Amino acid sequence: MLGTGQLRSRAFRAYKGSVQILVVEDEQKMAKALRDGLEADGYAVRVAYTGEEGFYLAQAQTFDLVILDVMLPGHDGFEILSTLRRRGIRTPVMMLTSKDAIEDRVRGLDSGADDYLVKPFAFPELLARIRVLFRRGKPDIAERLQLADLEIDPARRVVRRRGQSLDLTAREFELLQYLFLHKGRVVSREMLARDVWQETTRQTPLDNVIDVQMARLRRKIDGQFDPKLLHTVRGVGFVLQEEGGS
Amino acid sequence: MRLRPRKLRTRLTLSYVCVLAALLVLAWGGTCVLLFWELRSQLDNFAVQEIETVEGLFFLTPGGQLQLREDYHNHPESKEVIERYLEVLSPDGAVLFRNDRLGNGRLGGMPFPGEGVGGYSERSLRLSDGTRVRAVSRLHYLDGRPLLIRLAHSEEPLYSRLQKLLLASLVVLPVMLGIAWLTGYGLARRALLPIQQMARRAQEITPEKLHARLPNDDTDDELGQLARVFNATLGRLEEAFEQLRRFTSDASHELRTPLAMIRSVGEVGLQKDGTRAEYRDIVGSMLEEVNRLTSLVENLLTISRADSGHIQLQRTVVPVMALARESVGLFEILIEEKSQRAILEGDERLQIEGDRLVLRQALVNIVHNAVKYSPAGEAIAVRVKNGSGNRVSIEIQDNGPGIPAEDQAKVFDRFYRVDKARWRESGGAGLGLSIAKWAVEAHGGTIALSSEPNKGCTFRISLPGALPNSQAEIGA
Repeated sequence: MLGTGQLRSRAFRAYKGSVQILVVEDEQKMAKALRDGLEADGYAVRVAYTGEEGFYLAQAQTFDLVILDVMLPGHDGFEILSTLRRRGIRTPVMMLTSKDAIEDRVRGLDSGADDYLVKPFAFPELLARIRVLFRRGKPDIAERLQLADLEIDPARRVVRRRGQSLDLTAREFELLQYLFLHKGRVVSREMLARDVWQETTRQTPLDNVIDVQMARLRRKIDGQFDPKLLHTVRGVGFVLQEEGGS
Repeated sequence: MRLRPRKLRTRLTLSYVCVLAALLVLAWGGTCVLLFWELRSQLDNFAVQEIETVEGLFFLTPGGQLQLREDYHNHPESKEVIERYLEVLSPDGAVLFRNDRLGNGRLGGMPFPGEGVGGYSERSLRLSDGTRVRAVSRLHYLDGRPLLIRLAHSEEPLYSRLQKLLLASLVVLPVMLGIAWLTGYGLARRALLPIQQMARRAQEITPEKLHARLPNDDTDDELGQLARVFNATLGRLEEAFEQLRRFTSDASHELRTPLAMIRSVGEVGLQKDGTRAEYRDIVGSMLEEVNRLTSLVENLLTISRADSGHIQLQRTVVPVMALARESVGLFEILIEEKSQRAILEGDERLQIEGDRLVLRQALVNIVHNAVKYSPAGEAIAVRVKNGSGNRVSIEIQDNGPGIPAEDQAKVFDRFYRVDKARWRESGGAGLGLSIAKWAVEAHGGTIALSSEPNKGCTFRISLPGALPNSQAEIGA
């Protein structure tokens, strides 16, 4: 299911199995879900159930990423993070917070977090954020991309299916480009709202807009062609890939 | 150590009695002083009469001795005559005559300049034996010889009368103050009784019993005013509590609905073995409800933060037309899909000062509402106008089914939906308009709805316009 053909960065070469992620999360269920989800996506995962354990592990071993819950018994995530940073440990850290407060965000980034995610989050979003963290600093894909007989050329903003040029609106093109960026992976409506529509708040009622936009895009790229490439994953979002589902 | 009495009525009575005591002492003292003056001036008058009498009774013996005829008095044994002191001096101070009572004592010593000249000089003196006397002097000429006649009476009776008066006051004053204390305490108690009643009643008021009201609110005095103010506060509190209660119950209902669906879908899904596709469908359906729950919780969070005043507005100057264009643009594709038309008109120069994101949220919610409820092919109009008094009004008009008059007041209520049955397909939990109302009011604006059945709705937002001098900021 992993479309790894275009992945060339160092982190992505190391993608399967050798990327080590430390998850610090006290809720057993959540921790298990994170472990299973990340492992299914090809990462090697180590879970710490307390802040102390997480702190110890983060110091003792080398990880490529720490996923750190803010609400931990004993020392909270912010404390752990700032102590780690004081000790010179520069491992990228993604904070998970249930408080949707601006202050928390600021605090999270101030204390040295590389990213934060508000609970409850969509899992595809977590995966996408992790990919972004590893890709940070690298230029976005700007060359011709291809899936089956669908091609897009971001530089010239051209889309072809089976060699036939398709007429897409600007928004549709952005949408397709975003789907290509996350090819083979589910993107949630929240990700689309934020990254394609540039909506900063999650309260904007955009779901209908996204659905309609997606239906139009699907008509254009899949309408008269087979195999179908743009699929809806019920309850989660959309995915661009050759087979339905994942 | 506490010197202040605890009870208000004790404090009141104490200060009242203190004031009364001070006044009484003042009055008593004044009386004593006046009385003393009065008695002394009587003494003086008497001495003057005596001197006039005595003047005529002096004679010079052939040897030049000064003598006093003692045989003249009507009542020789009269107390005043017996007890008087009499001395006659020559102007150079030589003693010419002293009566028996005075004996060898001196009545005032050397004459002072002008003593007794052309009238009577009165003064208080102390004799060598310590007796306080009131002396009157008069310069009299007998056969051309100047005689300074001094006549004095003891002031001691005056002082002893004063003393008696003071002694009497020591008895009478405490009694008066005691009576004043008792009656004052009783009065204070009576005056404060309503407060006690009110306190007792107020004590019984708990969040569960907010309908109770203070007594005495029908009087026109200060306490009545207090009771009315307090009762009005209670009324508002009760209303707020009721609102909160309703909100909590509505919110839990709204939360329960998706939860019930998740549960049923999950339980039913587990009952029988299904195909992979069926399971995916079940999980997907559950996730849909989770998404609904998530957005509901997020809206509730916004509302609770707004209610507690935790949302701080990041004010900037916002061009209204741009904001309206953006809000409508967001739903352009929905409008297109339903073959609706969006009309946007107004003055591009109008601007307001406020939190762009919060205001945008308000507009987006209302426009979304309009798009949602307008039938296909109809127009949605957004008009930005310059209102009176430097206000900017934004009208959002749809051509939907409208809202019945009896429901119009409720559209901004939380969880209110005109069509309870239809909300799931159209989305939303009835919080959008209440959030919009909050956003507008947080900016000092108003929002109103006018609607007629089958003629659509018009939402009218009125916001204070930005001051003209903030024009420069947009350019920056």
